[in-house]
Amino acid sequence: MTENRLVYLYCVTNEEPKLTETKDLVDNLYFFCHRGLYAVTSKVKESEFGEEGLKKNMADLEWVKANASTHEKIIEQVMANADVIPFKFGTLFNTDDSLKAMLEEYSEEFKTILRKLKDKEEWGVKIYCDTNKLKESVINNEPEILKIEGEIKSSPPGKAFFLEKKKTELLAQEVNRKINEYSQESFQLLEELSFEARINKLLPKEVTEREDDMVLNSAFLVGKNEVGDFINMVDTLKMHYENKGFFIDCTGSWPPYNFCGFSNQKVRNA
Amino acid sequence: MHDVVTKSRDVTLLEVLDRVLDKGVVISGDAVISVADVDLIYLGLKVLLSSVETMEQLRGAPITGPMQEPT
Repeated sequence: MTENRLVYLYCVTNEEPKLTETKDLVDNLYFFCHRGLYAVTSKVKESEFGEEGLKKNMADLEWVKANASTHEKIIEQVMANADVIPFKFGTLFNTDDSLKAMLEEYSEEFKTILRKLKDKEEWGVKIYCDTNKLKESVINNEPEILKIEGEIKSSPPGKAFFLEKKKTELLAQEVNRKINEYSQESFQLLEELSFEARINKLLPKEVTEREDDMVLNSAFLVGKNEVGDFINMVDTLKMHYENKGFFIDCTGSWPPYNFCGFSNQKVRNA
Repeated sequence: MHDVVTKSRDVTLLEVLDRVLDKGVVISGDAVISVADVDLIYLGLKVLLSSVETMEQLRGAPITGPMQEPT
């Protein structure tokens, strides 16, 4: 009784992968070379990764966590010695031959991407904002709001009520303006130190499991020689903003998930 | 439980999922089997989000407790 197996593709690279420390991550990890490109793959069970099985398993958070992190760890192993093109979780082929056919079709595109990625790393920067803390900082630093606060104290209750309302509106506006200003400024300063930069969608609190709100979710393709400058800039931003209620979370280096610029869907739709 | 975050650097699972499920090269076509066309793969974090909610409901809502909002 042998169950049908599918071919799971993790990444493509142009140097022979060293898979020494991946033995305990998955069974059946292997790679093969086609047209000067190496595909790092493993055989997975159709019952687990086939259409039916995957649909069921993607609803199981523990399964998703474990398998997504295996996907990441295997790519990181390869990345330690080579530039990689990371594929999205759950890229599956029926056989090695169907994967080879895909490599054959897109070998030039992959080689172009690998040339672009040479000596570069992906870094991620997420900025969160504690709105209450930012409000305090705005109240204490905005002359107009301080002025209204003064007026409220010396006004009769009726007028004070309307002034209070005005103050609340002004404060909300100012808080939004500051969030935009700080996150845009941070992004631009980091973008200047990068080859490419991306802004991704903000993740809700249910996903981040944080009290504060995500206000920027960004990724940068940074030259290996410029990583030091990039980190220094992040530290500078932290110094400027963290006492104003912002939290800057910088992670890396990552496989260049955000900078492979390749989807054959456009080609097919054209 | 799987030990999912054992990196030398301090990286949360969120960071991994944000990339692995949502980014990376997407290939579709004859060579790739049909799961790549299934919407749920593209939904990425939305799938995760609904899973998180499911988990929270399973974990955090005792039968006698208040009903959670179904959103």
